[in-house]
Amino acid sequence: MGLRWYHFVLWAAFIGGMFMLPEFASKGTLRTIIFANFLAIFAISWDVLSGRTGYISFGHPFLIGIGAYTTAILTKRFDVPVEYSIPIAVVVTMIGGLIVLLPALRIKGSYFALVTLAYMELMYQLVQVIRPDLTGGTRGISGLTTLTRGAVNGYYMSVSLMLIIALAMWLLMRTRVGTALSAIGMNEESVRGSGLSPTRLKFFAFLTSAFIAGLGGAFYVHYLGSIAPRALFEINFAFTIIVAALIGGASTIIGPIVGAFFLTFLLEFLRPILPGAERYFVYGGVALFLYMYQPKGLYEIFMRGWAKLRGTRT
Amino acid sequence: MSYPLQIRNLVKRFGGLVATNDVTFEIEQGQSVGIIGPNGAGKTTIFSQIMGEIRQTSGTIKLYGEDIGALSTSDRIRRGVSRTYQVPRPFSDMSVVENIRVGLMPDSIWQMVIRSPNRDREIELALSVGFAETDLQRTPSELSMGDLRKLEMARTMATNPTVMLLDEVFAGLTVGEIAQIAALIQQMRKDGMTFLIVSHDLKALEPLVDTAIAINQGGIIAQGQFGDVMANETVRSSYLGTA
Repeated sequence: MGLRWYHFVLWAAFIGGMFMLPEFASKGTLRTIIFANFLAIFAISWDVLSGRTGYISFGHPFLIGIGAYTTAILTKRFDVPVEYSIPIAVVVTMIGGLIVLLPALRIKGSYFALVTLAYMELMYQLVQVIRPDLTGGTRGISGLTTLTRGAVNGYYMSVSLMLIIALAMWLLMRTRVGTALSAIGMNEESVRGSGLSPTRLKFFAFLTSAFIAGLGGAFYVHYLGSIAPRALFEINFAFTIIVAALIGGASTIIGPIVGAFFLTFLLEFLRPILPGAERYFVYGGVALFLYMYQPKGLYEIFMRGWAKLRGTRT
Repeated sequence: MSYPLQIRNLVKRFGGLVATNDVTFEIEQGQSVGIIGPNGAGKTTIFSQIMGEIRQTSGTIKLYGEDIGALSTSDRIRRGVSRTYQVPRPFSDMSVVENIRVGLMPDSIWQMVIRSPNRDREIELALSVGFAETDLQRTPSELSMGDLRKLEMARTMATNPTVMLLDEVFAGLTVGEIAQIAALIQQMRKDGMTFLIVSHDLKALEPLVDTAIAINQGGIIAQGQFGDVMANETVRSSYLGTA
């Protein structure tokens, strides 16, 4: 795996710092960080699928939505306890991941991206018209069981979930699986020509991505206590996930976290200045600027600085 | 007798175009066979069919007596046949050793996770094709065409083949690089590797092969000793442009 002592030091410092944050940060800031944590989870999930394998998904909320709606329906309509509904939601989302995988066996590039966008739109329409007595139709479902009360507890829940996912994915991606998934993104034919099955690798990537999306989606609704299709299956939400991963640094684990925090705080910073949708115009411009001048993201800037500090090359 | 590679009545049609027309040949253990022919003759199409990248319309492909016609590319590679490509296909953001690492990987997610990369073997393969230790962390964008071909060879060798298909292995190389690759092939021949080599560089190809097959319009037009094939009148008129 090539683990070094400073990896443990950095992770320990990161985890320690995150857990000490409620001592210093206001409740308002903690609430902002909670959203950043969930966005980081979704961005990591997107990155496992798209950042690594190069199969760009424009409809990641499709998977998040499956997890979110499954647990919401199970708890609200069938009185299933949360400790059962969340694992069930994750399994159902993984089945959804297989649905996303199907087109990836035959198409790639912009065609695949469009199909995933269609999945999201389809899901949006379905939850509104199919059995609205279960899904809540256009209004969604409110009054869901919440896992925590108050900003501090919500923060600890979201940061724990985010850190567990991030650390697990970081360890997994440092194995040869991470190298093989990245290889698919660079040249799928050469992966096949190296004696590996791209289908098996994609299957793994899509299921892992769906697992994280399902887990994140399920915890997210049980943090919010409600679910609304218009907010979930919205193109802005889909692009925010993608932009977080890209400007942070695709094909990394820290990158999507950095990107998620950067974007969430940027939007919060802009809120008093531009309270309307104009905020997204500014954040789009910032993302475009960063992406044009540093396509490998903020993580690359950090790594270059680190390499310069150590006097080595990346 | 089971040949490392035996091809019988191979036919590949793309609509009305016959890309491979009733091709039959076999290669003995440790033998090196050259395939020559004009551009578009169907040489690479034969390679692609052997590797399962495209499926033949009819005919059989046997590896050590086993019909591999229905197997996937990765299954064929695991059975011992591997190829290089006319245009090298490296993993662009990976270093030389990481490129080789992909070729050394087991086709099992679980094994990939629990077992560490064999770094000694990665370095050994890189050095064996002529990379210097200082090249190991370089990425493909920093490599010359000769280095890219060496990398392609190393990654192919990493799959542990017993039969290697080399496609235009000398294209775009300098005289020095050709000599380096040729020496590597000769060494591997001594070690018992079976080769099927496509090349337009006949001068470089001649000392590397035991026999040659000339192909035109998908079909074999001559087969035998390299000199005899070169002297064949049909080969001279269709490929060499002399009669």
